[in-house]
Amino acid sequence: MSAMDAMATRQAIETVTARWRGIGWQLLGEEPMAPALNVALDEVLTRRVGAGKRPPTLRFWTWAARAVIIGRFQSVRNEVNQDAADEMGVTVVRRISGGGAMFVEPDKAITYSLYLPEEYVDGLSFTQSYEALDSWVVAGLRDLGVDAWYAPLNDITSAEGKIGGAAQARRGRAVLHHTTIAYEMSPDEMVRVLRIGQEKLSDKGIPSAAKRVSPLRRQTALSREAIVAHLIARFRDEFGLADGQLTPDERAAADRLVHKQFATEQWTHDIP
Amino acid sequence: MKHGEYKTPGGKLVVADFAVCDGVVRDVVVSGDFFLYPEEALTVITGAVEGAPAESTADEIAGRVRAALGPEVTLLGFTPEAVGRAVRRGFGDA
Repeated sequence: MSAMDAMATRQAIETVTARWRGIGWQLLGEEPMAPALNVALDEVLTRRVGAGKRPPTLRFWTWAARAVIIGRFQSVRNEVNQDAADEMGVTVVRRISGGGAMFVEPDKAITYSLYLPEEYVDGLSFTQSYEALDSWVVAGLRDLGVDAWYAPLNDITSAEGKIGGAAQARRGRAVLHHTTIAYEMSPDEMVRVLRIGQEKLSDKGIPSAAKRVSPLRRQTALSREAIVAHLIARFRDEFGLADGQLTPDERAAADRLVHKQFATEQWTHDIP
Repeated sequence: MKHGEYKTPGGKLVVADFAVCDGVVRDVVVSGDFFLYPEEALTVITGAVEGAPAESTADEIAGRVRAALGPEVTLLGFTPEAVGRAVRRGFGDA
């Protein structure tokens, strides 16, 4: 990207994010959930925000179990070593957004979702919207002394390696943007459960996927909880944020989707 | 079954799995860690590759995909050419 393009992108992002202040953002806090419920909630909450039944929302996830979350367009057979996953007790679930597979463990990942009406990213390209929706996190990590920056299309990175990755889906006039950041990592277990071929690493100039990621724990002495608390405070300062809760109706809708879709073999293996 | 992978430099991986039957590409599954909006457009992409002559070049396959996609579709991290390259890799091309 040229310096002029980078400046135009930065200005477009500043203009758009300025419109996110005071629009009634609601925070859904961390509650440990099964992997399939976490991905089902993304579907439910995106649609509710699109229908105007829920305000723009920031949700922090907590994983109740180890899981591989694969992208909407990925093949389980190509991406996951199913025998290893079974032996390790790792659940495989498919999310509604594209992008790559990730291996998450409770308390080792920081994951959040943003749900907002599409009108709040009007004026941005898809590519710019990824950077805009993670801009508060990059700023928040820099506050904490982590030399992080955004690497389009969808990575939060640092001189020491990739920190996190984002993915988006769109549903009924709303945008879902979710990001997972590595706080700690078990590289041996990751390479056991994920199949990462040489072609995927062909342009990275590095020998393995595990070496590509530099979790925050290597870059800061802060606890995971302290980092999450700071990111929430940063969002609250920048855009305003009220504490909220899932409604019983939202929870029931997500539970239904778990049984009908997200916990089924059919969905887990479905490529459009 | 044939299997080919192609990663756009700086972009995403495209995987093509398919069979060859009577000289044409059949039972195509295109997968990968790319982004595509709307997601149903993947069926348009696989539909465009389906039935392509086995001797098609990467550019010819890309042309079929490009012609099938409407203006409302956004591909992020890959292109119709990447789909063509992944299919050719399935045939053992570099």
